[in-house]
Amino acid sequence: MTNEQAVADIINLSEGDSSLANEIRELGGEELLECIQCAKCAAACPLALAGFSFFNKRVIQAVLMGLRDALLDDSSIWACQSCNRCTEICPREVNPFEIIQAMRRVAIREFALPTLSIEGLKSLYDTGHAVYLAGAGNTRNKVGLPEKPPSTVANPEALKELQAILRKTALAELGIIPMEEPGV
Amino acid sequence: MLYGRIILPDVHLRYPLQGELAGLLFISLCRGGDIVPRIGVYICHCGENIAGAVNVEEVRKYAEQLPGVVLARNYLFMCSDPGQELIKQDIRNGLIDRVVVAACTPRTHEPIFRKAVEDGGLNKYLLEMANIRDQDSWPHWQDKEGATEKAKKLVASAVAKATYLEPLEDRFVEVTRASLVVGGGVSGMFAALDLANMGYKVYLVEKNPSVGGNMAKLDKTFPTNDCSACILTPIMVQVGTHPNIELLTYSEVESVEGSVGNFKVKVRKKQTYIDWDKCTGCGDCVNACPAKVPNEFNEGMNNRKAIYIEFPQAVPKRAVVDIEHCLNCAKRVMGTQPRIHSKTGEPILAPCEKACKTGACDRSRAYNPEGELIELNVGTIIIATGYKVMDKEPFKEYSPQSPNVITAMQLERILSATGPTDGQLKRPSDGEKPKTIAFISCVGSRDKRFHTYCSKVCCMYMLKEARLIKEKYPNINIYIFFIDVRTGGKDFEEYYNYCRNLGIRMLRGRVGAVDELPGDRLRVRAFDVDLGAPVELEADLVVLATAIEPAPALEELGRKMGITCGSEGFLKELHTKLYPVETSVKGIYIAGCAQGPKDIPESVSQARAASSAAAVPLTLGKVIVEPLISEVNQRKCSGCGTCVQLCPYSAISLVEDKGKLHSKIDEALCAGCGICAAACPSGVITLHGFTNTQIFAQIKALAS
Amino acid sequence: MKVGFFVGCNTAFNRPDLEQAVRYAFPALGIELDNLEGQSCCPSWGTMPSVDVVGWCVVGARNHTIAEEKGLDIVTVCGSCYGSLAESKYKMDTHPEIKEQVNNILKDFGREYKGTSNVRLTFYYLYHELGPDKIKEAIKYKLDGLKVALQPGCHTLWPSKVYYDKEEDPFHPRVLKEMCEALGATVGHYTRLIDCCGMGAMRSTDMEKSLKLVERKLLSMKSEVNPDLIVTGCSSCLIQFDTAQELLRNSKKINFEIPVLHYMQVLALCLGADPEKVTGLAKTNVKPIIERIVG
Repeated sequence: MTNEQAVADIINLSEGDSSLANEIRELGGEELLECIQCAKCAAACPLALAGFSFFNKRVIQAVLMGLRDALLDDSSIWACQSCNRCTEICPREVNPFEIIQAMRRVAIREFALPTLSIEGLKSLYDTGHAVYLAGAGNTRNKVGLPEKPPSTVANPEALKELQAILRKTALAELGIIPMEEPGV
Repeated sequence: MLYGRIILPDVHLRYPLQGELAGLLFISLCRGGDIVPRIGVYICHCGENIAGAVNVEEVRKYAEQLPGVVLARNYLFMCSDPGQELIKQDIRNGLIDRVVVAACTPRTHEPIFRKAVEDGGLNKYLLEMANIRDQDSWPHWQDKEGATEKAKKLVASAVAKATYLEPLEDRFVEVTRASLVVGGGVSGMFAALDLANMGYKVYLVEKNPSVGGNMAKLDKTFPTNDCSACILTPIMVQVGTHPNIELLTYSEVESVEGSVGNFKVKVRKKQTYIDWDKCTGCGDCVNACPAKVPNEFNEGMNNRKAIYIEFPQAVPKRAVVDIEHCLNCAKRVMGTQPRIHSKTGEPILAPCEKACKTGACDRSRAYNPEGELIELNVGTIIIATGYKVMDKEPFKEYSPQSPNVITAMQLERILSATGPTDGQLKRPSDGEKPKTIAFISCVGSRDKRFHTYCSKVCCMYMLKEARLIKEKYPNINIYIFFIDVRTGGKDFEEYYNYCRNLGIRMLRGRVGAVDELPGDRLRVRAFDVDLGAPVELEADLVVLATAIEPAPALEELGRKMGITCGSEGFLKELHTKLYPVETSVKGIYIAGCAQGPKDIPESVSQARAASSAAAVPLTLGKVIVEPLISEVNQRKCSGCGTCVQLCPYSAISLVEDKGKLHSKIDEALCAGCGICAAACPSGVITLHGFTNTQIFAQIKALAS
Repeated sequence: MKVGFFVGCNTAFNRPDLEQAVRYAFPALGIELDNLEGQSCCPSWGTMPSVDVVGWCVVGARNHTIAEEKGLDIVTVCGSCYGSLAESKYKMDTHPEIKEQVNNILKDFGREYKGTSNVRLTFYYLYHELGPDKIKEAIKYKLDGLKVALQPGCHTLWPSKVYYDKEEDPFHPRVLKEMCEALGATVGHYTRLIDCCGMGAMRSTDMEKSLKLVERKLLSMKSEVNPDLIVTGCSSCLIQFDTAQELLRNSKKINFEIPVLHYMQVLALCLGADPEKVTGLAKTNVKPIIERIVG
């Protein structure tokens, strides 16, 4: 048995934050309360199978009990693969994947996100790609492709448009990455 | 305004006259001499329930001076004997001819006060209640002044209506002293036997060739582990031989008309193509038949013939030809003459015909493929059509295509001595004994994509099947995957503990996937919530506890009777707690799994409750029709049919009379909801007890 | 036939040989590829979808509109892009309030999401539009019974309701198998076929746990099929299987190497593409496979 779970500590339910559940429901996890904790999703979840301390079912129970800090202090939710096998088999149509995404959205609003995610967002804003490798131009040439793919990398106007669009989203209000208008 | 008072004699007006007209005539008869009905008002303290918020004395004084009121009294508990006596005395002394009781709710107390009024000597419908408890003192407990004012208004409204109350008469309808039970499973059979033992004629209609239903397919039954067939067959035989029961198997209900006491039911006796009077159930024809058809009784795990007897203990034990799958051997199409053998000169018969020694199987007979349509007259009906086991196909994540992934009912047939393996525990793919068996609960139940309800019996039957196997083969490893363990019935917890003690392993965690392994083995994957870890199990056999579903075409059958199904597809009872066997249609009752998933003890209880309820009208011999129902002024009715479509009780029909169409309301079916009266564009329908005159008077009193 | 090609991030920068494979194979089968100029990240799961539903959908919608304006469907080669684009489309198509908020932002840029372009995945598109038989006819080189284990990838299967091209049974997928068989491969079945490979957010968060998942898959493939080649349906799975084996050998978890290619790379080879261009960046040794196919 390899799951590392907080079994050493006693969880004090009285310290649970009852507003967490509503926050999750407003951020995309609308069906949260439909969950009956049957564990069908957990049986198929890569996070559970890989031994992460939190995975779909456990995230939901923690949310229902209002254990905000336990969830924010743990990086498991950022390892979710978005494979959606849980969504496919959940008998209550809870969409556990969306609950995890909603928890990520809660975490972002508390600035509790891993460095890699910040870097991904910054890369998305600066280049239009979450993953951008600077030496990629050479690799592309090596196989006979133009240095730049036909994306925002090769089309500066498109990048500007994307950046302007991003500035109109919630990302801009959160101030996680610098998003100034160029030339301003 | 004082009007002259004349003591009216106690006249119970029979009202063959039409509604409104009668009321107005009656009133004008009184008013003709400036006579006003004499109303007595009785205000109840209801202990502190009313008096705690309402100033009862103040309301009484107010009531005294309302038009038409000749006396007003208040009392601690009007429903008590002395309280009722107050009313009776005033009536007997000739002081009043209308009664208003301002007290609690008519839902529970109207019958009590109606009886008091009748005992006093007045027509019991000359009573009006004002609910100054549920509608006044309770909700306005903090506002004493407001509550008292509201009580005055409510009393004034009741008095205004009482002014226009008409005497009404209960009607009685003769009851046909026979009953129909639809469904010959354990529920239907017990219901039929109770009624038959009471002395009533019972028609038992069953769509399969034999009675027995799903219980006949079980090996043993929990919690006693009785052999199912052993305890069921005596009941089947009783049903088959009871002098009062007419058994109509291989038959289905086609239409139902009429109302309580007088239902006319058309039943189609499907074509068996066998003369059941001659058939002895010997089975020779079955042995001779070469056809192969998936055997429904064995849940598709082996084949039967095209001519078949449903199962060895069938009642009645008669053969049936499944004409769709019949091969018509030797070109012996039904209803034709046999060809003659050119050499022997003998007729060339089909193997089944040749085998039959009694002449029951005679393919030369011109059978009507539609069977026979018969009509039955019954007073009450009980629907006990049982359930269907859900198929495993939709659950792709459980690899249903594997032969070793089976439903629990299929396992039941494997375990059963009359099943496809003669009771040997053999797994379907290779006939080998499984070394590891996994049971999966809640397949299709507690599942928004299929059935949201819990099928109730699966936890217990998985334990039962596991126990039967483990007791016989202690070395077989058995794992049961639950979400929750639901073993709430009598002796069930003991059963659960016994199973744990046998070493059957139980886990909590719904199974997420079943992978196929080589050798037709399976890998079951779940998350054990108690261990807190994902788990995997390699099994030889996986048993799915699939949901209990409503019987096929149940909704259609219900519709024929005017009964709806709930959102889950089972027939709707009248009241979940207090009236579980009654339906919204008087005279039609439901029992067993037709009403919802339940086990055998509960099915039997419900069946016997239904027969008891169904016997009441039969015993009384007549059915009371409350007069608070709608009536059509047929001379003025234009025959537009608006009311027909709106009636939720299917009580109205259009009839032709002297070339003119008009509505006719069936008194026994009408529930007095008033929709027709409100909707009638010509305004010619009267709802007795809630006439326009009465309602407008109430509105006027409330508004002033 | 013409379709828009969505390149994504990992394929464009990490495995552009896969991009070349697609750019060769589609036209070779008579399908023109449009570059969908100006496309951006899908957006990837760890970025906008983790911030806000509308923010996610508006970046996705921008990509959709590029294709919509040209009246083309979108074809992706990466499972994650496939999932992100298809799910944002499904969200907007089934939630008018989200669509409205998205279009409110897009209108300032002269764009409007209509939902008229479908999101497809390379080999699903070929399966449904051409069919395995036409592929079989079109190829120059056959795989000649090459033993193959498949990695369909999670996003190609779930959630099935959002995808335009569907599997009949998302737990027993057949499309990739039939497409490989059309090339002449012998496809072996292994019992952990539809399990996740561990690539993606998990690998960025905890490499060791991610490797645990792919190790389990490799061991199952090796013991149950012992394949000559692993064929993946997703570019992310490609990177995972291609790079993880060396790490696992270093930590002594496995002692073998199985060459790994994406289906489009194998298809391109069978259609006669230059092996250097379409497989040149593989870390596992694919030369024996290339020799066997092309000679």
